[in-house]
Amino acid sequence: MAEYFFELLTEEIPAWMHDAAQATLRQQLSQIVPGSEVYVTTTPRRIIFFLSKLPLRENDREEEVKGPPRKAGEQALLGFLKKNNATADDILEGGDYVRIRRKIAGRGTDSILQERVPAIVEGLRWPKTMRWNGGAHAYIRPIHSVLSIFEGKHLPVAIFGVASGATTVGHRTLAPGTITVSGYNDYVTKLELARVVIDATRRRHVMAERARILANAIHGTPSLDATIWSQWQYLTEYPGVLRAEFRPEYLALPEEVLVTVMRVHQKQLPIRGANEKLTNSFLAVIDNEADPDGNAAYGNAFVTNARFADAKFFYDTDRRKPLADRLDQLTHLQFQEKLGNYFEKTKRIEAIAQSICPHLNLETADTLMAARLCKADLVTEMVKEFTDLQGQIGGIYAREEGYSNDVWQAIYDHYLPINIEDALPRTLSGAIVSIADKIDTLTGFFRIAVRPTGSRDPFALRRAAQGIVQILLNRDKRQVRLGIDQLIDFALAAHNDAGNAAVRNDLLAFFEERVRTLLEISQYGFAYDEIAAAMAAGWSRSLTDLVDRIHALKAIRNEANFLSILDSAKRIANITAGHASNRVDAKKLEDTTEKRLDELATAVGEQVDEMIAERQYRRALESFAAMAPELEKFFDEVMVMVDDPAVRSNRMSLLRKVGDAVMKIADVTKIVVDRS
Amino acid sequence: MARINFQDLILRLQNFWAERGCMIEMPIDIEVGAGTMHPATFLRVLGPEPWKVAYVQPSRRPADGRYGDNPFRLGKHYQFQVVLKPSPINVQDLYLDSLRAIGLDLTRHDIRFEEDNWESPTLGAWGVGWQVLLDGMEITQFTYFQQAGGIDLSPVSAEITYGIERLTMFLSRQSSAFDIGWGGGFTYGDVRKQDEYEFSKYYFEVADIDLHWKLLEQYASEARRCLDHELVFPAYDWTLKCSHIFNTLDARGAVSVTERVAVIKRVRDLAVACANQYLESRREMGFPLLPASEAAS
Repeated sequence: MAEYFFELLTEEIPAWMHDAAQATLRQQLSQIVPGSEVYVTTTPRRIIFFLSKLPLRENDREEEVKGPPRKAGEQALLGFLKKNNATADDILEGGDYVRIRRKIAGRGTDSILQERVPAIVEGLRWPKTMRWNGGAHAYIRPIHSVLSIFEGKHLPVAIFGVASGATTVGHRTLAPGTITVSGYNDYVTKLELARVVIDATRRRHVMAERARILANAIHGTPSLDATIWSQWQYLTEYPGVLRAEFRPEYLALPEEVLVTVMRVHQKQLPIRGANEKLTNSFLAVIDNEADPDGNAAYGNAFVTNARFADAKFFYDTDRRKPLADRLDQLTHLQFQEKLGNYFEKTKRIEAIAQSICPHLNLETADTLMAARLCKADLVTEMVKEFTDLQGQIGGIYAREEGYSNDVWQAIYDHYLPINIEDALPRTLSGAIVSIADKIDTLTGFFRIAVRPTGSRDPFALRRAAQGIVQILLNRDKRQVRLGIDQLIDFALAAHNDAGNAAVRNDLLAFFEERVRTLLEISQYGFAYDEIAAAMAAGWSRSLTDLVDRIHALKAIRNEANFLSILDSAKRIANITAGHASNRVDAKKLEDTTEKRLDELATAVGEQVDEMIAERQYRRALESFAAMAPELEKFFDEVMVMVDDPAVRSNRMSLLRKVGDAVMKIADVTKIVVDRS
Repeated sequence: MARINFQDLILRLQNFWAERGCMIEMPIDIEVGAGTMHPATFLRVLGPEPWKVAYVQPSRRPADGRYGDNPFRLGKHYQFQVVLKPSPINVQDLYLDSLRAIGLDLTRHDIRFEEDNWESPTLGAWGVGWQVLLDGMEITQFTYFQQAGGIDLSPVSAEITYGIERLTMFLSRQSSAFDIGWGGGFTYGDVRKQDEYEFSKYYFEVADIDLHWKLLEQYASEARRCLDHELVFPAYDWTLKCSHIFNTLDARGAVSVTERVAVIKRVRDLAVACANQYLESRREMGFPLLPASEAAS
C-alpha cells in the first residue's frame, strides 16, 4: 500500500476559514481512491494532507468499443482495428456493428494524483480571494511552495504555476530556515524541531491544557468559549498561552463590555474567580511555547488597557446623557430607507406593546417604559463601538439610572432570542418588548415587499419570526392567549395599515412555516403528521394550545379505538369530499343504525366542545374515538350513495357531522398509520 | 529591548526601505486620513508601471480626537507608509526584516498576521491582508491592493502601513503616546499635546458647520473643473480636501444618514474620475516608468 504526502505553503489564511476548507479537502481527497485513508490538517500558512492505504495502480479493466457497421467494408474495419491496436481475432460475434473488447490498463496512482491533487487544491472555494504580484491567479493568499511526495519520491505537481519541490520552511520567526523533506514522517519530525506542530487538534489540546493550568494558578477558571479554540488553533504554528493582567480599576466597567473587548476584539479569554466574578487576569494566545521576556504579556496588557481606556471614555461620555434624553437623536438614525427612523420605530414598538399588555393582565407602565427606551442605546458611543452589545448597554445604563428591574431587564433582553439555542427574555416585559420589536420589523418589511428569498435574508426576518415563535411557545401561559394573528393585527395598526389582508395573509403563511419548522426540531419530539394534523385545525390563535393538541394526538394515536376511527375518518373524508353541510335532518333518517349514530354524534359533539373549552384535548379525542364501533356498524349496514338525492345528501351530512366533531382539535385524516 | 524614540524609528524605517530600493517620498501637504490617500499610493498603484516608495504621512481623523486626554487615541497621528509594486513574493519576509532593523529580536516576541481586509468607500478602493500583531498589539496594516478608484489593479501592490506612535510607545515601554521621546530632547506631548486639544475642541465643538458645507460644495465643483481641464493632480487635491471637510462635518455631528451616503458617493465619484483620468494620462504617455522591454510589448 502506497502513501502520498502534500504541503502547500501560503501566507496566513484567516482562522475562520480553516475548518470548512479542511472538510472540503477531506471529502474530495477521499474520492480520489475509494478506501484510502485521508488525513488533512492546516496551520496558519500550511495546507497539509497525507493519504495512505493507496494502491500503486488502478485495477485493469475491459471495455467494449463499437466500430463501423459490419457492411461498411474492409477499409473501415482495418482502420478501426488499427486505431484500437486490435486484430480480427478480437472482434466479438453478432450485431450489425463491429465490436471489440479492449483491455484498459489501470493507471498508476501517481499519475492520478498528479492530475487530481492540483485540481482539488486549486479548486478549493474560499470565501474571499485575492490576487498578488502580476495578478495572474486568485486564491486565498499567495502561494510560496509545494511539497508532493509519493512513496518516498518527489511526485511533480504544480499549483498555480508554483512547481513542487523538496523543501519547505520552519516557523516564521523561531526557525525560519529552509528544510529539505524526504517523506511524511521526516516532515513531521523536522517541522516539530522547526517549531511547527502540524496537527491542529494537538495545538488546541496543548492550549486548552495550558489555559487551565495558568488560570488554576491564580485560583480561577478560564471563561470558556467554544469559538475561541477554533480561532486560537489557526493563529499559531507553535501553540502557547500566556496570562496577563489589566488595570484593576477597569473592573468597574460593565462586565459585558470587558468580556466583549477581550473575547471579540482581542481574542482573549477572561478568567473568573471562585465566585464566578471576573478577575483582572486574562489569557491570550501566542505563537510560541513561552514568553521568555514577558514581552507578549506586556503587549497584551498594554493593548487591553488601551481598549478599556477607550471604553471608559465612551462610558463616561454616555453617562452624562440619560437614555430618556436620547430619544430625539433617534430621529437622525435611519431604521430603513422606506421604514423611517428609529424614533418612529420606537413609537410603533410602544403602540404594539400597549396593545399586547391588556391580554396579559399586565401592569403596563414598566413594559411601556422599556419599550420607549429600548432603542436609545443605539446612539450611545458604547454601542457605536461595540455593536454586539446593543440592548445590553441600554439595560445596563437603565439599571444605573435607577429604573426598576422590570424596565432594565426588558431593555437588556429585548434582542433575545438571537438563535434557536439562545435564552429567552427573562421577564414578561422583556418578552413583550422583544415580540413588539420583531413583529414591527417583520410587518414593516412585508409592507414594502422585502421578504426573504431562498438563502437571502439580509434583514434576518426568518430569525425575527422564529424568535417570536420561540417566545410564544414558551411564554404564552395558559391564561394568556396571544395569537400570532392578533399580533399581526396590532402591528398593522401600528403601521396605520389595519386590515391590509394581503400583508396579513403573507405574514401568516410566513409564520406558519416557522411554526412548523420549530415544532419539528423542538424538544417535544413531535412527528410531522401530528403537527400537520393539529395545524390544519388552526394554529395562529395560540401556539401553546396548538402544542397541547399535538400532545393529545401523540398520546392517543396508537390506541385501538383511535386507530379504528382513523380509518373511518378517512373514509368519511373521501365520501363527503365536496359536501360542506353537517346539518342532519333527523326526520329523514330511516333506519335505526343511522338514527343511533346521529344521536351519538350530537352527544359526542357537545361533549367534545365542552372538553375543548377546558382544553382537555386528550379526553375529547377519546370521546370521539368512542364512536368507532357505531360508525363501523353504520358503514356495514347503511348505504350512503343511494339514488334518492335527498337521502344521500342527508347521510353525507351525518357523516360530516361525525367527522367535524374533532375538526377543532385536528384534521385526523392527516395522521399517517404505520400498518407494518 | 531597544529603547528608541519617535524619530529614531522613522529614520531606521526610512533607511531600511531606502536600502531595499524604495524612493523616500515626502508627505502630501494636504489634510488626509491615511497615507493611502497620498497620490504616491492612490494614483501610483494604478496601471502597469512599477513603483517602490516609502514616506511618513501625518494623518488626520477628526472623530478620533480625545482632547489629548486619551493615551492612545489621537485626532492626528503619523503613519509610515511603504508601497511595493508589484508585490514581491517575499514581502512578508522583508517586513519582518524591517522589524529586526528597528531592534526587535523576533524570537523573543510574538508576531502574528491576523486577517484584516481594508476598504475605503470614499476612494472606491479595497484590499486583502492582515493586521500585524506584535505581542498582541496591532502595529501594522498589511494590504494587497485589489482595487483603487473602482479599477482592478494589475499588477497588485503591497501596502505596509506602520502605526509609529504605537510602535514607539511599545518599544520604549511608555503607556501614553504623549510621553514618548520624539528626539532632540522633546517628547511627543511637547510637540503635539496642545494641538490635539485645540483640534479636538475645534472639530467637535467649534467648526462652522455652514461654512464647511459651503466649502464642500465649492471644493467639489473645483475638482470637477480641474477634471474638465484634464488636470488630474489638482483635481485629486481638491477631492482630498472634500474628504477632509466631510470628516470634519462628521466629527461635528452635522451629517445625517442620508447626507452621509450622498457625500460619500460624491467623493467616491471624484476619486474614481481622478483614477480613470490618471490612468488614461499615463497610457497616453506610454507608461513612461515601464522598463523599455515591457513598454514596447
